Parts: sequence; structure tokens; C-alpha cells
Amino acid sequence: MEQVKTEVCAGESAGAFVFQSRPNLSLTRPQERLVFWSLAALCFATAIGFAWLGYWLILPFAGLEIGLLAWAFKALRSREGDYESLVIEGDVVVLEWHRGKHGARRELNRQWARVECNCRTPGRNCRLSLCSHGHATEVGQYLNDEARLQLAAVLRSRLQG
Amino acid sequence: MSDAAHAHDDHGHGHPSGVMRWLTTTNHKDIGTLYLFFALIMLFVAGSMALLIRAELFQPGLQLTNPDFFNQLTTMHGLIMIFGVIMPAFSGFANWQVPLMLGAPDMAFPRMNNWAFWVLPVAGLLLMGSFWLPGGAVAGGWTMYPPLFIQGGISYDLTILAVHIMGLSSIMGSINIVTTILNMRAPGLTLMKMPLFCWTWLITAYLLIATMPVLAGAVTMLLTDRNFGTHFFNAAGGGDPVMFQHIFWFFAHPEVYILILPAFGIVSQVIPTFARKPLFGYASMVYATASIAILSFIVWAHHMFTVGMPAAAQLFFMFSTMLIAVPTGVKVFNWVATMWKGSMTFETPMLFAIAFVCLFTIGGFSGLVLAIAPVDIQLHDTYYVVAHFHYVLVSGALFSIFAGIYYWLPKWTGHMYDETLGKWHFWLSVIGMNIVFFPMHFLGLAGMPRRIPDYALQFTEFNQIATVGAFIFGFSQLIFLIVVLKTIKGGAKATDRVWEGAEGLEWTLPSPAPYHTFETAPVVK
Repeated sequence: MEQVKTEVCAGESAGAFVFQSRPNLSLTRPQERLVFWSLAALCFATAIGFAWLGYWLILPFAGLEIGLLAWAFKALRSREGDYESLVIEGDVVVLEWHRGKHGARRELNRQWARVECNCRTPGRNCRLSLCSHGHATEVGQYLNDEARLQLAAVLRSRLQG
Repeated sequence: MSDAAHAHDDHGHGHPSGVMRWLTTTNHKDIGTLYLFFALIMLFVAGSMALLIRAELFQPGLQLTNPDFFNQLTTMHGLIMIFGVIMPAFSGFANWQVPLMLGAPDMAFPRMNNWAFWVLPVAGLLLMGSFWLPGGAVAGGWTMYPPLFIQGGISYDLTILAVHIMGLSSIMGSINIVTTILNMRAPGLTLMKMPLFCWTWLITAYLLIATMPVLAGAVTMLLTDRNFGTHFFNAAGGGDPVMFQHIFWFFAHPEVYILILPAFGIVSQVIPTFARKPLFGYASMVYATASIAILSFIVWAHHMFTVGMPAAAQLFFMFSTMLIAVPTGVKVFNWVATMWKGSMTFETPMLFAIAFVCLFTIGGFSGLVLAIAPVDIQLHDTYYVVAHFHYVLVSGALFSIFAGIYYWLPKWTGHMYDETLGKWHFWLSVIGMNIVFFPMHFLGLAGMPRRIPDYALQFTEFNQIATVGAFIFGFSQLIFLIVVLKTIKGGAKATDRVWEGAEGLEWTLPSPAPYHTFETAPVVK
């Protein structure tokens, strides 16, 4: 399950239709630094204190654990740049997405682009894709079913217009 | 947005079924359910051991067990109740409730969440399986003190491995909870607007991360002392067994709060709902929880006054321990103030929450008695200590778990539980629990030592009363099992909000909560 995207914006910009969404990330850098460094300081201070008394085997476990915590925060940070955007301008539909280390951009011809919305059950578990030339690109992954269905309706009307 | 080819990785759209659903699930609700069922099974396993212990103690002499098996039972009862019941149960609540309360779709690291659960049954099997090994299960007490823990058989090695695995599970779970709470709160849900249950779990997870390396290091040093010729704690080789106690309690006193802080969180959700008033002194509750956590790092040696330490150290640990009563008192005051002039109703979750406040306070007071160094030297390793920590962990932690289950079960299952059976469960539990553990105060004050299968004749009556209470309490848990199974199977349809006074994001969802929730985060005003 991916992060929820709540920063969704859709509207007109200089005649173009623009849809953008970003993840909802509530962790601020100061919070992250406070939690990580306070835990690291506490763990290592304890481990070094006991190591000083000769009980050094706590130290490697503290290192492993803080390493895992650092990895977790790094993984969260890697999601900071995630976004998806869809722009319909003239005859061109531009899709852009970025997730973790992966990102891509795809341009479609508006006349050929087709909206596909498949729901496993009526109105539920829906997948929204823009298809063209036998290739489908999923859109609105971060939305819930209701918002995805609304986006599908908007896209259909925009692509027809 | 992604290419369809990439999108196949996204497992959020299907609803898997069968055994594989449970083995491979990354859904926080499934994993929460797994934790809760694991805890329930372990509750009956470790509870059965408790009944065997109490049956043996019904009268002086040896009836059912031999002393070694009795020690195995007490050790395993403690280890399983702490690591197999209370901690997994609270992890189950965290898995179910934290994302729902925060408006998040799942935990921050769902796969790690799956691993964190599935290593637990392995540890449980290692612990339980050791009963069938040569020499039987560990019998040195849940505190794993050397020299007993250095001298035991193969089961001691397995227990060390099991403790490592449970620690790994706790670390993975804690990192997940910290990152989820910090990073996945709905827009507008600032830290000081979070439900108190999330706050208590944030602080609990912080404590777990801070202390788990100490436990891992301590048991690894036991392992190397046993198998690799080191002498960290082996007095025969110049090691210091007392140092193990310092290291162990440096972990285990915060662990005590790890076992009780989520209980504070649950009760802080339940009481305002049934008092139909907001929680009194929310900010002070947060600061009190944080204060308890901070103080938990500087009180460890109150568990070991009898090993001998300078008077200054005794005074320091005595006063620092007493200091914990201040933030705890703030909490109790706030719960009572929340109820004060509230439009209270007494459904089962509220009954358990009220019992928690009253009985946990008794456990807290007996803790204050034990904090007094000269008194503790008299009462150390007596049944007074057993009474104290059972008032904290049974009427504290376990009763809060019952309160939480009754409170959120309708949201989880979509059905109302049987209120009549719930009340039977409550009254039998609360009466049974007090019959078991209250007389133990008198036994301890009279000098009856803990962890013995036989005792002097003068202790017989109180032991008999305690045993009768234990069977009432133990068998009343079957009612709880029936209530849970009955509610899962069917019952009156629960409304979305379930309780009239319930506030929070989880109550905005349908009952039962859909498999996927908050795919788009709500905005909290």
C-alpha cells in the first residue's frame, strides 16, 4: 500500500488542464532529526557506557538497530519527491510520475488517448489508466475509488472536448 | 501514476483469501488481527500454566508438580505473558488503530510489518517446545539471572534465541509505528491533536527502540558465557552476575512502562467516550506520559536493593522511583476529572476502564511501598511483589486490553458484542482477580517467598483463597473467548460511530472498517 496522496490539484492553467498529486508526508525534517538523533544518542550512550565497563556486546546491537532506523527514515525521505501529473494542452497529453528512484514521462496524442477504468466490483477497487497505441499508463494511483472515478469522468470529457 | 507494467507491484487492489492471505498480508488490519489472535492463544497457554501453579499452591506440600517443573511453569508463565500476550496484544491494537486514527491507509512499512508478526510464532514455538527438551524448559525466572541461566540445559539457549527473535519483532514493529505516526498523519492532524492512544504508542515505541539493544546484548553475553567461554557474568571466571541484573533492569524497567503506556492510551480513549466529555488535560496527559518514559531510565536499581549498594544510590533510586508517582497521579486525576459530571454510561469497555483506574492505582500504591528501600529489603522476593505487579499487569495492562477489545470490536467486525456476556466477563474477572491477588499482599507481608511450590502451614488459608480466585478468573476468560467468537460470527449490526460519545477518525468509517481505508487522507480541522 502506497502513501496516500492528498495534495491533489486539478484545474485550468493558461488553457491547459492540469492534474497533480503528491504524497501526504507529515514528518518534518526537524522532527526527523530530533527523533533520530535523540534515539541514536540514547542508544549509543547506553551501549558505550556498558562497553566502558566491559560489556561491549550491546554496542553492535545498538549499531544495527540505529542503522535500521536510519534506513527507515531514508526510505521515507525517498518518497518526498513522489508526484504524478497529467497535463492536457492542445492535442498533447503529458503524463509524468516519480516514485522513489523511478520516474518517467509519456506524451500521448489527445485524439488517440482513451480512458479505461476497471472496477473489480461496481465502484470499488478501481484502476484508472490512460491508453494509447496498446500501452496503458495508470493514473490517480494515490486517490481513493471515489476520487478516481471523478477523475475518470473529468478526463473523458476533457479528452472528448 | 505509472506504467501499467509497474503497477502490478501495487498489491492494494485485490483482496486475497485463504491461508496465503494471512501469511503474505501487508494489510494493517489483517496483521492487527493476527497479533490479537496470537495474544489470545498465548493468554490461554500462559493462563493454564498459572492455574497449574495455583493448583499446586492450593495446599502445602507437593501435589501436582516437582520443584523444578514448578520453576519452569513460573518462568514460562512470566515470559509468555509479557512477550507473548501483553506486548503482541498492544501491537495488535497499534496495527488496527494507529492508521485508522491518523487517517493513514496503512503502516509506513507494510512488508516489515508482516515480518514483525510472523517471526513471533517462531519465538513462541521455541519457548513452548523447550518443555519437551531434555531438562525441560527454562526454570531460572523470566529475568534470566545468572548463574542459573548460565548453568541450565539446551532450553536456555533456545530461550535466548526466542528472546532475540521477539526483540527483532519489537524493533521492526516500533520503527514502523514511529515512522507511521510521524509521517502519515492526515493533513491538519498535528502531534498535539493526535488521539492519546497514538501518543502513548509513539512514546512506547521510542522506549522499545531505546532499550532493545540492551536486552539483545545482555542475552547474547549470556549465550557467549554459556557456549563460548566468556566470563561476562560468570563469577567463576571473574565475571559479575550482579552486573547482569543492572543491564537487565536497565532494559526491563522501561519494559514495564512499555507494557503499561499503551494501556493508558486505550483507557484515555474509552473514558471520554462513555463520560461523553473530552479528555481532561490532554496536554498534561502527553507530558505525563513522556515524563514517565524519561524517568523509567533512571529507576532500574529499585529492583535490586537487596544486592547491596551504597546508601546514596539507594536514596537516589528510591526518590527517583517515587517521582514516577507524580506523572502517574496526573493521569489518574485526569481520568477521574474526565468522568466528573460526565453523562456516564457503564457499558463493558467503560467498566473495564473504571476497574483499570481503581485497581491500577492499588498496584501503583504498592509500587510506592516497594520503592522505599528499607521496606523493599523486607518484601523483596515475597508474594507482596507478586501482588504488586499483578495489580499492574492484570488489572492494568490486561483489563485495558479487554476494554479496548470491547470498545473497538464492533468497528472491527461490524457486529455488536453480547453486552450481557460482556458484563458477566467483567464482573467475574474483576471479582476473581481481586480474590487471587489481594490476599497475596498479606502473604508477602507475612513473609511467604515467591517461586516456591511448597510453603509453611501458616500461609495455607490465603493461598487457598487465591487459588479459588484464580480458577474463577481463569475460567471467566472462556466467556471472553465466547464473546469474541460470537461477535465475529454475527450479532446486531454496529453503526458507523458505534458509541454515542465516540470521537475520532476511525468512527467516520463504516462498520466493519473496509479492507482499505483512507486511501485519500481526510483533512482534520
